[in-house]
Amino acid sequence: MTDSLILELKGLRAGYGEIQVLWGIDLAAHRGEITALVGSNGAGKTTLMRALSGLIPIQGGHYISEGRDLTDDSAAEILAHGIVHVPEGRRLFGAMSVEDNLLMGAYARKARSAELRRDLDRVYATFPKLRERRSQAAATLSGGEQQMCAIGRGLMSAPRLLMIDELSLGLSPLLVEQLVAALKSLNAGGMSILLIEQDVTIALDLCHRAFVMDMGRVVRSGAGEELLADPVIRDAYLGVLQE
Amino acid sequence: MQAVQILINALVLGCLYACIAIGFSLVWGVLNVINLIHGSFIVLGAYLAFGLYHALLLSPWYAVVIAAPLFFVFGYLLQRLLLNRVITAPVLVTLTLTFGLDLILNNAMIYFFTADYRKLILSPPLGSVSLFHVVVPVDRLIATVSALALTGLLYLLLRRSRIGRAIVAVRLDRDAAVLMGVDVKQVYAIAFGLGAALAGCAGVLMALIFPISPLTSSAYLGKAFVVCVLGGLGSVSGALAGGVLLALVEGIGATFVGPSLATTLSFVLLIVFLIARPQGLVGRKGFE
Repeated sequence: MTDSLILELKGLRAGYGEIQVLWGIDLAAHRGEITALVGSNGAGKTTLMRALSGLIPIQGGHYISEGRDLTDDSAAEILAHGIVHVPEGRRLFGAMSVEDNLLMGAYARKARSAELRRDLDRVYATFPKLRERRSQAAATLSGGEQQMCAIGRGLMSAPRLLMIDELSLGLSPLLVEQLVAALKSLNAGGMSILLIEQDVTIALDLCHRAFVMDMGRVVRSGAGEELLADPVIRDAYLGVLQE
Repeated sequence: MQAVQILINALVLGCLYACIAIGFSLVWGVLNVINLIHGSFIVLGAYLAFGLYHALLLSPWYAVVIAAPLFFVFGYLLQRLLLNRVITAPVLVTLTLTFGLDLILNNAMIYFFTADYRKLILSPPLGSVSLFHVVVPVDRLIATVSALALTGLLYLLLRRSRIGRAIVAVRLDRDAAVLMGVDVKQVYAIAFGLGAALAGCAGVLMALIFPISPLTSSAYLGKAFVVCVLGGLGSVSGALAGGVLLALVEGIGATFVGPSLATTLSFVLLIVFLIARPQGLVGRKGFE
């Protein structure tokens, strides 16, 4: 049943003006799963995410989520459908407080203040550090806290599908472990997640299913552990030395 | 005693300058538009106060309440219908458009109101208060307090309201704001409307103190520009700091060098700041 697909892409093409980056992406992500996008720099992972959140227009193909066609929808409409993008580099509103950043996540929902309060508490329960720092300017947070704030801001948008571009970039292993644990518990609560992660081991370990991208196309896909065991993948992306 | 008087004068005038500049700063900061109609908005506000006083005997501090929504709608529509069409073009394009709009508005005012200088004279006059030999005219005091109140209101709006957060978010990171579902063009229109409303209200308050003529618009625009550069773009505190500094320089200049050179002095200061401290006294910030 296609409605169980939180993301169903058929021949999706997109790019920047004259420059085409994505040459027909086929991808299916299931509801309640963690799906990973892996591939080298310039493979088109971030471009795909930008197209999926409506930041750049889709030039061709189909973009369907839970049976609804989002191909021609605006960023606001895609967000209203529940597809939420935590962008690369976090893109927090640096001069605003942590709590105001989180509230910006809920901007489009026009929720009542009691509801907002409840959702804020939920984010603070997931990331207790954010509660401590809630009145601090977001720019003064450490890298890990900023990532927590960015994910928390995404959660405030009430996502059906949370798309995270580069979870671990520039963060210490300990922090990455915390974030991975947080994502696992969110997923255990039923949230679908699409993840771009440059650390392929983390990505394949965490995800249910992964799609390997190269030159703007999906070149392989499969279950995380399956790809992790694949010698070609190990060779190309894990940098494992062959004896 | 003279020093204290100069200081008090500067504080009183500085708050008015801040009020002149704050809307200009908001539009510049959020939309990246150097809004050349700003000065004419102020003059139009002054005419509104003049008209309301002469037609209905409505005092300017009440006229503010009428001016704010009128100018907001005016500014909002201007942005929605015209400026939003070229908002993504290079800054020179929007500058040219606001220049053209300013010519239209300013010449319309000359046509309808003539270029003659008028003065709103309250009867009976409000007189002045003096404390330890420092004299402050009451009309100026009222204008200053109102200007501070307007500035404070903008601050609260930006800090505490949903739309205020969206305005600041667009200023800080437009793409990220889009990801939050912010309708950027709508926010632009609201920010421009707010800028116009503040200009209109500032004009109403100016009518209490200064003579009114379409020809004064460029002087107001110049002051708004200088205040933004001195204080730093994009913050209420910057506008206040810039306003007081400008008033202080003008006050000291007028006292010791002569009133005719006071404005020259302030523009010399502008150039010094542009060279030595382009970010202004307070620095560029997200609007706060």
